[in-house]
Amino acid sequence: MIGQVIISGLLAGALYAMVALGLGLIFGVMRVLNVAHGPIMMLGAYTSFWLFHWLGLNPYLSLLVSMPALFLIGVALQRTLVSRVVDAPELSSLLLTFGVSIALVNLAQLAFTSDLRSIEYLTGSFVLGPFAFSKSRVIACGFAIVITVAAFLFLKSTRLGKAIRAVSQSREVAQVCGVNVQRIHLFAFGIASALAAAGGSLVAVMVAIQPEMGQVYTFKSFLVIVLGGVGNYPGALLGGLLLGLIEQLASLFLTTQINEAVAYILLVLVLLVRPTGLLKGRT
Amino acid sequence: MTRGLYAALAVVVIGLALYPMEATGYGIRFMLQLFMWIALAQSWNLISGLTGYVSFGHVAFFGMGAYTAGILIAKLGWPWLVASLAGGIMAMVLALVIGWPCLRLKGPYFAISMLGLNEVLRVAVSYYEGLTGGGNGLSLPTLYASVQIYYVMGLLALGVTALAYVIITSRFGLRLMTIREDEVAAEAMGIDTFRYKVYAFLLSAVAPGIAGGLAARDQGYIEPISVFPLITTITMIVMALFGGQGTIWGPVLGAVALFTLQELVWARFPYIHPLLFGAIIVAVVLMMPRGILGVLQQKYNLPRTI
Repeated sequence: MIGQVIISGLLAGALYAMVALGLGLIFGVMRVLNVAHGPIMMLGAYTSFWLFHWLGLNPYLSLLVSMPALFLIGVALQRTLVSRVVDAPELSSLLLTFGVSIALVNLAQLAFTSDLRSIEYLTGSFVLGPFAFSKSRVIACGFAIVITVAAFLFLKSTRLGKAIRAVSQSREVAQVCGVNVQRIHLFAFGIASALAAAGGSLVAVMVAIQPEMGQVYTFKSFLVIVLGGVGNYPGALLGGLLLGLIEQLASLFLTTQINEAVAYILLVLVLLVRPTGLLKGRT
Repeated sequence: MTRGLYAALAVVVIGLALYPMEATGYGIRFMLQLFMWIALAQSWNLISGLTGYVSFGHVAFFGMGAYTAGILIAKLGWPWLVASLAGGIMAMVLALVIGWPCLRLKGPYFAISMLGLNEVLRVAVSYYEGLTGGGNGLSLPTLYASVQIYYVMGLLALGVTALAYVIITSRFGLRLMTIREDEVAAEAMGIDTFRYKVYAFLLSAVAPGIAGGLAARDQGYIEPISVFPLITTITMIVMALFGGQGTIWGPVLGAVALFTLQELVWARFPYIHPLLFGAIIVAVVLMMPRGILGVLQQKYNLPRTI
């Protein structure tokens, strides 16, 4: 039983880590908490749904569409709106992205209605000894790992990735070294949105798709980056896995209603006891 | 000038006091809700407008007051006025319990932990069904008291605005605003920043608690999603921001403007309501982050205590 729970937790955690890496990227680079991260993920899920519905496209192949599409939408959002509040007090960016968030959810309601949708693609489970894994979750976890590793390699070794990390360490110094900070902000927001979109496309196969599905992920992602340490990108990985595990373990001992609150209580505890996160980040 | 303003204020107050004699049921409800929004926006202003600590879950105090009063009225048969005041006290207790740890957090961390608090409360209320009725909600005994609630809510709005006046014109208010401008400098000047933040937080929690109790009595039915919605917090923030946060009359102005707009215009477009609201938020944040009064203050060199 415990083994099953741990495995489910890790499967869910890989997905959390990938989505949270996006939120963490924006927060690390611009100190903006993007409340619209979850709704962007929802758009990714709808992209996969419609491609599957209209064209019968394999939902995993639709990652190739949803990620670039949301990358562009992310860049556009950054360019038109978010770039203007990067240096404003946090109230401005929180409110602005919240406004974008409810507008996106409302647009999705108007365009797609609030009906619950689902992609009936992979059902059933792999059975391995005493454990059973839902196929869609295992595959989603696999994709999440691949995409997250790719994102890490990108951040670690490419010029652009290094510039992004430099800006998140110190914008002034990066600027002095000749990094075009505005451009880095655009890329960071675009990449973050693409990561959220990937999360959306992957959960689209597992859960019901509806316009309000995303919001809870904004909060969970924030918890993950706080757990791991803000500005510490490998920390997001650890934080995601931990959140997945804790949620699954909590569901074992607590009723589902209280389970929803576990993440929130955990967040406040971590912020109070260890505000720098488990792996040391910046405060 | 000042005298003229006070005279105008007195006329408005007397007019509002006499209004129920003439008004329709709709008119009473409209004004009652307007008073509620003034009280909420002004309360948010007390903590966030003055200290710069963004309370992103201020509706938690509203919900706390609503449930405290609702339970006291429905289960113990308390009179609604006493029950609502008890709601205000419970909201203060909650503010103390939450503020003690959370006011040590800075920036977005405080905002998000307040948001988390609100969610925890909503879930907790749904969970303890025996006391709160859970997700089915809590029905209060039928009572027609809209006119009385109108007066109490009006007094509440007036009271919080008077409180804002007293605070902003006092040394206490100056200390709070120093924290907003530069907390480290405030500490270096010998201000016990944590203590003053807690005081401001407690004061900002009372009115939402009372307003929650009154709203629960007025509507006669409460449920977790109706008294803990994040959108209520956002609405009070946008009202305060639109009028001018950190000022005395800004939140009043913002509440009057946005609530009237909402009732007259948005009520006709229920389907795109969130879209319009989102657009208004974005417009306010981008075009006038200092609010109407903030802009006027800067342009005409008005006193800080407006």
